[in-house]
Amino acid sequence: MKYFKKIFKESIIIVMISSILGLFSGIVLSNSEEILYAIPVILLILPALNSLIGDISIVLVSRLTTHLYIGDLSPKIEKSDRLKENFLGLLFTTLLSSLFLIILGFSIGLSTGIKYINPFIIILIIFMTVIIIFLLMFIILFISAIFLFNRGNDPNNLLIPFLTSFIDFLTPLMLIIFITIFIYN
Amino acid sequence: MSEKREKKGRIVKETLPSEVGSIVGSLLAGIALTFLILPFDSFLILILMIPALLSLRGNLSSPFIARTSRDMIIGDFSKKTWIENVLATFTLSIITAFMIGLLTILLDLMVFNFSILHAAYLLLIPIISISFTILISIPCSTILNFLAFRRGLDPNNVVNPIMTAIDDFSTVMCFFLTLIILGVP
Repeated sequence: MKYFKKIFKESIIIVMISSILGLFSGIVLSNSEEILYAIPVILLILPALNSLIGDISIVLVSRLTTHLYIGDLSPKIEKSDRLKENFLGLLFTTLLSSLFLIILGFSIGLSTGIKYINPFIIILIIFMTVIIIFLLMFIILFISAIFLFNRGNDPNNLLIPFLTSFIDFLTPLMLIIFITIFIYN
Repeated sequence: MSEKREKKGRIVKETLPSEVGSIVGSLLAGIALTFLILPFDSFLILILMIPALLSLRGNLSSPFIARTSRDMIIGDFSKKTWIENVLATFTLSIITAFMIGLLTILLDLMVFNFSILHAAYLLLIPIISISFTILISIPCSTILNFLAFRRGLDPNNVVNPIMTAIDDFSTVMCFFLTLIILGVP
């Protein structure tokens, strides 16, 4: 049961913290009820937006971990071709996926008769949120993966639970901040 | 240079289709949530635990998938490691569910004072719902990891986004099923 113990020991604390953060995102959302209901298309695409940014970050962590384990990536904080490859590949995927999400989300919104307030600003806000969180997560996750790997921990066990809850919390928060700045002001 | 472009292209080619599937799945989860959970009388208290339950895909399911893919890639995958991985994921799930229930009870008593549901419900709903979700998620992700690996695809790129769609949708459906089984008003 060595593997069981390693997984359990490395995951338990971070899973607990993530659950608490998950409950906090529920509180943040219910407190911003007024803003979200005023722009219903945001509510419609929010779960998919959380999933998109979360998925890309999970792909990044699992790729970095695998590269580190097979020795394809040096366990040092430095620029490399492998890192650039991951950055550009995932950034391009993120932008294309965001475009698809906006087209599909807005189409569903139109078919259900949702009213649109400043659609171009909303699209701009969505893209800004996605790009800022992607850049932030790339830097945080790369540095954390190297640090954890060098300490003998599996970055998968610690970073993935943390990042999903963190993104679920950060995405609505950034959307609300941008809506307040660009629309409500 | 062209090799680098090919590698970046591989990330986009393998991740984008599954990401598109993930977006569709998450939008479906959002729609299911609105039509199936919203009509419950106890919706106000249920919405508190839903973001925490949805973030489980990241807390428990994704690390399980990432560990399985890494074990396959580095040649460490065996029946024994898989069973220990499953046991650890299931144990962590039950502990997390218990904690989500407990924190919801505390939030209800100390902050919101909804008093719509008995504390026993708030404890049982996440435990039963998470158990159902994990029972769907583990076999699905293991099969997908195998299929991706056997077809020469990188499971890190493909499996996580597909499983996000399955996990998001099954979380909402299992949550709904739990409410029906327990007779939640």
